[in-house]
Order: sequence, then structure tokens, then C-alpha cells
Amino acid sequence: MSVHLEPATESLPPAPHAEPAVLARGVWFGYHPRRPVLRGVDVTARAGEVTVLLGASGSGKTTLLKLIKGLLATGQGEITVLGRSSRAGGRPSALDARVAYIPQQLGLVRNLSVLDNVLVGAMPRIGTARSLLHWFPRDEIVAAHAVLQSLGIGNKAAERVLSLSGGERQRVAIARALLQRARVIVADEFLSQLDPVTTDEIMTVMHQIAAQGVALVMTTHELDVVTRHADRVVVLRDGLKALDCPAAEVTSDSLARAIRQ
Amino acid sequence: MSAGPWLRRILLVLLAALFAYSLSDVGLLETDRLQRGVQNTGRFLRGLFPPAWDVLPDVARAAGETVQIAFIGTALGLVLALPLSVAASPAITGRGVALTIRLLLAAVRTVPALLWAIIFVVAVGLGPAAGSLGVAMYSLGYMGKLFSEAFDGVDPEVLEAVRGTGLGRAQLARYALLPEAANQLLSQLLFMFEYNVRSSSIMGFVGAGGIGYYLLGYVQTLRYQELTTALLVTLVVVLAIDRLSAVVRAAFLSGRV
Ligand SMILES: Nc1ncnc2c1ncn2[C@@H]1O[C@H](COP(=O)(O)OP(=O)(O)O)[C@@H](O)[C@H]1O
Ligand SMILES: [Mg+2]
Repeated sequence: MSVHLEPATESLPPAPHAEPAVLARGVWFGYHPRRPVLRGVDVTARAGEVTVLLGASGSGKTTLLKLIKGLLATGQGEITVLGRSSRAGGRPSALDARVAYIPQQLGLVRNLSVLDNVLVGAMPRIGTARSLLHWFPRDEIVAAHAVLQSLGIGNKAAERVLSLSGGERQRVAIARALLQRARVIVADEFLSQLDPVTTDEIMTVMHQIAAQGVALVMTTHELDVVTRHADRVVVLRDGLKALDCPAAEVTSDSLARAIRQ
Repeated sequence: MSAGPWLRRILLVLLAALFAYSLSDVGLLETDRLQRGVQNTGRFLRGLFPPAWDVLPDVARAAGETVQIAFIGTALGLVLALPLSVAASPAITGRGVALTIRLLLAAVRTVPALLWAIIFVVAVGLGPAAGSLGVAMYSLGYMGKLFSEAFDGVDPEVLEAVRGTGLGRAQLARYALLPEAANQLLSQLLFMFEYNVRSSSIMGFVGAGGIGYYLLGYVQTLRYQELTTALLVTLVVVLAIDRLSAVVRAAFLSGRV
């Protein structure tokens, strides 16, 4: 299986020495003023790499992903994503289509077909009138089918999402991100509902996508995902960064210690 | 959250006292009046039979008009309620606009269907057109509320994820909000239609068309046997519509359509 990205994406080869795709510096955030969830976190994620974010439940992983996506605004500090910066005090930046957000439950529209869910990724390029009439440009439909095909669910295009298995839904969410021509994909609890075999299949796909110049930032609870599939690992604890290093330098034991301590 | 046992006891006593007081206030404790009521009811019930079948063609035609009033009224109400309830969703238009439209819908809802019908009888004259418009306004108020509640229940994670692709508000409504709420919207639309068939059957009381014209007329002229026919036809229509909407609901919700 090999995943082909949109032409526009392929024309941008990975640039290993360029600015990191995601650069968060001294990020503070709290849902309540007196209870900060993040207390000065620095995170970088590079194109071509799989960055895994770990931490106990409630340590702020989801919050950090939403900050990167621009769904939340930082309290202090600065987050630069693909060269676009959002500083403390600003409104949540306008949502950047180049950053795809895959939430924990995937955020698919269950009542729509797989194809329509994927075409949602192309929506900003399609005029309002045309998209409201469900009259999509031929090339976008072709691209959507091609992406589904390369993810191994080409035969599911007409089915409604609610009739799909967990692994198939995961692929639909990935396909939507690809049609979005995402340069950064943030994915929350990305593999939480998958069996080990499907996990390996999905991560193989994600590595192919990353290799084409996409930065993947994902959270998980599975420690062996880090040792098997990550390039870089970041551990959050008590609103601070407890660990940040290449995945090759850690073991499941050292990770477990960093998360709990 | 649970009230103390004393507080609960005091509330119960207050409730019982309020019930007794209201019972006497509305005149349900006057024994001679109740006695007369029982006698009158007996005479009325005996007068209902046998039904007078000669009025069946007229009554059936009027029942058909009742269903038409309900159908047109529900459809017009839907056409108005759908865009307004989307606009009343804070996820699409933001809090300010959403709240304003909700207030507007609440205002529409305070006017009962029959009063809307009277208003439209004044505006467009006697007949089913006034009834249809009255039902439409009433449906707008209620479906607007039911639909916006359905939209409020849409999983915020889905809205965030779809919004994250960078699409516009109208697209978000069309490809996330509406499909996620679709089953509930359909269910409420069918409920509204059933309800409207019932309320359309009294539109004729104020000259706004349908079988209500006959129901009221037979009561006022003491033609109880004709009234029976009209009531039976109304019953059949209501049951048929309920059955039909159950079939439609089952077909849609099982994903067969
Ligand atoms: N919408 C919210 N409102 C208030 N508190 C929240 C909200 N979302 C998360 N929190 C709190 O912020 C903290 C971090 O949550 P989260 O980022 O979801 O952690 P994680 O994803 O690592 O489990 C938790 O204490 C959680 O209770
Ligand atoms: Mg989380």
C-alpha cells in the first residue's frame, strides 16, 4: 500500500532544515484563570516526523492539540504553526486549512457518505453555492476517490460512516485530512479504538504521509506506539514538559516513569 | 439536591391545599351543578346515536381539507423554521444572532394556533388559506425551538473537526449540523404534522377551513347524530395519519430510505 498525496502537496518536498512546522514557546493555558493546565510548555514538531505526545489523563494533551489547531487561544507564550503565529491575548487564529485536526472520536459526520466526509476537506476550495448544491468539481471527486483507494477503502466511498468499522473510520478521517492538503496533522488519542494489527497498518500509512513532508502530532496512551512508530516523544506532567527526546532514546519503562513520577 | 423531608412534606400539603381551593373555585364542588352535568351528559351521549351517514360526503371533503391545511401549514412552517433554527445555532452564527432569533421564535410561540388563524382570517379572509397560514406560524414557532434544541445536541467535536477544515458557515451547516441532527429533525417534523392534523380540525371554529366548521356547526345547532359522523371521520383521519407517520419514521430511521 502506498499513499499518494494531492498534487499540490507533493510539489512541496520535505525540507529537513527549515523552520519546524509547529513551534510552541512558553505556552500557558487554563480553562479557569486560577487553574492553569499548561504552565510554560515548549514543543516543536517537524515536517516528516511523527511526534507523540504522552501524559497521564488530564495532563493537557488534548488542550495542547487544540491550541496548535487554533481552536483555543494561548494565555501566555506563542505558537507558530507553518509560519503563522498566534500570540497570547489574541483571538484564536482563523482556522488554517493546512492544519488538520482529528479529535478523539474522529469528528466524522456519521450520517454522510464516506465520500462526502472526505470532500469536506476540499470545501474551502469549492464555492459556497456549488457545495451547498452538492455539485462538486470533477477533479475534487477524482482526488477524493484516489485518496480513499490508496488508503484501502476505495470500495466504501458510497457507504455511510456509521456503517464502518473503527479502522475504516480512522482511514476516512485521514483521507479528509489529506484532501485538506494538510501540512500538519494533529490527532488526539489517535489509535485508542484499534486492535494491534490495525494500529500497525494505520501507523505505516501515517509514516508514508509524514515522509511526504507532513508533520504529525499525535497523543496516545499506548507506550509501545512510541517505541514502534514515533520519531520524537514529548511527555507532559503537571502542566510542564517532563521529557522531550528522540523516540529511539527511550524505553517503555523510562516513559512510564516520566509520565507518573 | 434532594429537599429535606420537612420541606417535602410542607410542599405536598401546599399542593393539596392549592388543588382543593382551585377545585371549588372552578365550580367542581357544587353538587347540584354536577348532578345536572351527569344528566346532560347522559342525554347528549344518547343523542349521538345512530350516526347520520347522509352528511358523510360533506364531512369527508372537509376532513380532506383539514389534512391539506395541516400538510401545507407544516411544509411552510418547515421552510421557515429550518433556516431560522440554523441561524439560531450559536455554532453557526455566534451567540448574539442566535439569541436574538431564539427570542423571536419564542415570541411567535406565545401566540396559539387558533389566534394565528383568527389573525389570518382578518388578513386573507375566511377559508383554508387562513388556516394553513395559521398552522404555518404555529409550526414555525415550535419547530424552530425543537430544531435548535436538536442542533444544540450535535457533538461539538464533530463541529470542531469539520470547522477545522476551514470551510464556511453555510457549508458547516449543510455538511455537519444538518446531517448530524437529521434523524431528530425528521422525527420532530412528523410529530409536528401529526399535531397539526389535530389542531387543523378545530381551525374551522374561527372560519379558517376544514372539518372544524362542521364540528362547531353541529354542536351549535344540536345536530348530535351528524356530529357523531364528523367525530368518527376525524378519528379515522387522525389514526391514519399517526399510522402513516409511524411507517415513514420506521423506514427512515432504519436507514432504508
Ligand atoms: N472545556 C474544558 N473546560 C474546563 N476544563 C477543561 C476543559 N477541557 C479540559 N479541561 C481540564 O483541563 C485539564 C486537561 O485536560 P485535557 O487537555 O483534556 O487532558 P488530556 O487530554 O491529557 O487528558 C483537565 O484537568 C481537564 O479537566
Ligand atoms: Mg485528551
